Amino acid sequence: MENLSAKYGKTLNLDKLTSYCPGCGHGIVTRLVAEAIENLGIMERTIAIVGIGCGGFSHHYMDIDAIEATHGRAPSFAVGYKLTRPDNIVFTYAGDGDTSAIGLGDLLHAANKGMPITTIMVNNTVFGMTGGQMSPTSLEGQVTATTVKGRDVSKQGYPLLVPELMRAMPGVKYLARETVATPKGVRKTKKSIQKAFDCQVKGLGYAFVELIVPCPTGLKLNVKGSYERCGKEMTDYFKPQVFKDETEQGHVA
Amino acid sequence: MTQETLFLKNTETFAESLARCGVKYHFAYPITPATDVMKRMAVILPQYGGEMMQMESELAVSSALAGAACTGTLVATSSSGPGLTLMHEAIGFMCAAELPCLMFDSMRVGPGDGDIIGAQSDYFVATRGGAHGDYHVIVLAPASGQEIADIMPHGVRLAYKYRTPVLFVVDGLSAQTTESTTLPAYNDYSAEFDTSDWAYTGTQDHPKRALITGSYSHQDGYEMNEMLRAKYEKIYDNEQMWEAEQVEDADLVIAAFGIHGRMCTDMVAKMRAEGKKVGFIRPITLWPFPDRAFAALPDSVKNILVVEMNHGQMIDDVRLAVNGRIPVHFLGKTGGDMPMCTLAEMIAEANRILGE
Ligand code: SF4
Repeated sequence: MENLSAKYGKTLNLDKLTSYCPGCGHGIVTRLVAEAIENLGIMERTIAIVGIGCGGFSHHYMDIDAIEATHGRAPSFAVGYKLTRPDNIVFTYAGDGDTSAIGLGDLLHAANKGMPITTIMVNNTVFGMTGGQMSPTSLEGQVTATTVKGRDVSKQGYPLLVPELMRAMPGVKYLARETVATPKGVRKTKKSIQKAFDCQVKGLGYAFVELIVPCPTGLKLNVKGSYERCGKEMTDYFKPQVFKDETEQGHVA
Repeated sequence: MTQETLFLKNTETFAESLARCGVKYHFAYPITPATDVMKRMAVILPQYGGEMMQMESELAVSSALAGAACTGTLVATSSSGPGLTLMHEAIGFMCAAELPCLMFDSMRVGPGDGDIIGAQSDYFVATRGGAHGDYHVIVLAPASGQEIADIMPHGVRLAYKYRTPVLFVVDGLSAQTTESTTLPAYNDYSAEFDTSDWAYTGTQDHPKRALITGSYSHQDGYEMNEMLRAKYEKIYDNEQMWEAEQVEDADLVIAAFGIHGRMCTDMVAKMRAEGKKVGFIRPITLWPFPDRAFAALPDSVKNILVVEMNHGQMIDDVRLAVNGRIPVHFLGKTGGDMPMCTLAEMIAEANRILGE
C-alpha cells in the first residue's frame, strides 16, 4: 500500500478520520493547508487558530499546535499571538460565518494592521454546522433555513465580497479568491495557499485567501450537485482571482 | 528600573507596577477613567522590550490578550465598566483555557454607558462574572497607589500559580487620585513559573498541543468543568485576603473595600477616641470573598455596616458570610458630583446603628 505520509508529509495527520461530510470542501482545503506548511518546512513553528463551526475541526487533522478561538475572534487572537511570538507562523482557519458575520470587524482590523498573519476563509455560502442558515455570503435568492423564500437583498443585503473589502489596504500583501470546484481550481488554490504562507514566512504582511467550496449538507444537495453549484452560481458571483500578490519582494523579516 | 518614589496618578502607578513586575504586552482601548494606564504603558513598555497595542474594541482587546497569553507571556489589559462588559467573552475563554493575565477595571457608575464618575458598581460583574459557565477570576481590590504597587507581585504569582486571569478593581476616584508611591525595582515574577509544559509555542519542543475550551465529548467537558471546580475550591480555601482592625471587642464592624475601606482607619480611630467600640474589615480579595474574616468575628459584634459606592453589591457576600448570625446594614452612594459617602456620613450612620 502506498505510504501516504511519504506523499503528504508529517503535517497532515492521516490517522484520524475527518468529521467533514462526504464531498465537503473543507477536506481539500485542510489538505492543501497542511501541504503548504509541509512544503515551506515550517510545521514545528506553525500555530493554527481556528474558528467555531466545521472549520474549527480542521486542526484535528494536522500535527501542529492549535487554538480554537471564540466565535469570529480568530484574527484578534492571531494578532496577540504574533505580537508575542513574531518568529512563529500563525494562521487562522474558519468558515464564512465565523469570518464574515460575527468576526468581520476583527478580520478587517487584523488585515488593516498588516501584521504577517495568514487567514484562510472557507466560503460555502451557508452556516454548515448549525444546520444551513443564511450567511453574509449567501447568494441572492438562496434558500436557507432562515431565508425560506430565498435571500432578499432589499432586507438582507448583497452577498459580502470580503477580499474586495481588503483590496485597498496597503498592509495586505497577498489577497486571493480561489475555488476547489474543479481540478484546475484546486491547483490554483494550492498555489495561493502556499503564497499566503510564504508571505508570512517572508515577513511581508497580511495574507488572505478565500476559498469557494461546496457544502452538500448545508445546501441540501448531493455531492455532484453541490460541486456544480460551486463551479457555476457561486463562482459567477465570487469570481476566483488573485487581487494582489506582493510576495516576490524577497526576505525582509 | 530601580526602586523609586514617584508622585503619580494611580492609573499610572498601575502601569508602572505592571511593567516593573514583568508585563511585556498590554492590549487596551481608550476609556475614561482608565486610559492613563495604556498611555503610560505606550511610553514605558518599549523600555522593557515590550509593547502596548491599541485595539479597535474591547472584544478585540481581550481576544488578542488571550492569543498572547497562550504563549506563556505575561500580558495585561486595562479598562472600565463598559469595556469590561465587552471583554467578558474572552475572559470566560481564558478561564476555561487556564491562561494567566492581569486586568484592571477602573470602576465607574452605570448601568448602560453610565457616567465617567467613579464608583464601585462593577462588584457583581467582577465577582460573579459576565460570561457564561461556571468560572471565577481572582479579584483584587487595592485601596491606594501603594497597595497597587505592593500587591502586584502577588497578583502575578496568583495568575501563574493558578493559570487564571486576575482582575484588579479600583473605583474611578481612587484610580484618578495622585499620591506618592514607592515603586519596586524591576523583577519579572512570571519567570518564577515554568510555562514550558503548557504554552502554545509550536511543536519544536513538544508534541501537538491543542487549546480546546469546548468539549468534543460530554466526558471531556465534564472533566474540564470538574478540574476547574477543584481549582476554584483551592483558591477559595487558600487565597482570601483582608485587612481588619479592632474587631476583637467591637460592637459594630464596618465592612468596606477600596476607597471606603481606606477611610475606615480614620473612622475607627475617631469613634474609638469617643469610646465607641467600632472596628472594620476591608476585603482585599473580592473573589474569593474573605468569609473567614467574618466567621471569626467575636460574639460582641451586634451589627455590621457595609459601606459601598454602589447600591449594595458586596453586601450580598457579607450577608452570606455571616449567614444570619449578625444583622447587616447598608450605606451607599453613586453618581452626581459627590459620588462617595463622606467620613461624616459614615460616622453618622454608625452612630445611628449604635444608638438603636
Ligand atoms: S456541514 Fe457543510 S461545511 Fe460542515 S462538514 Fe458538512 S459539508 Fe462541510
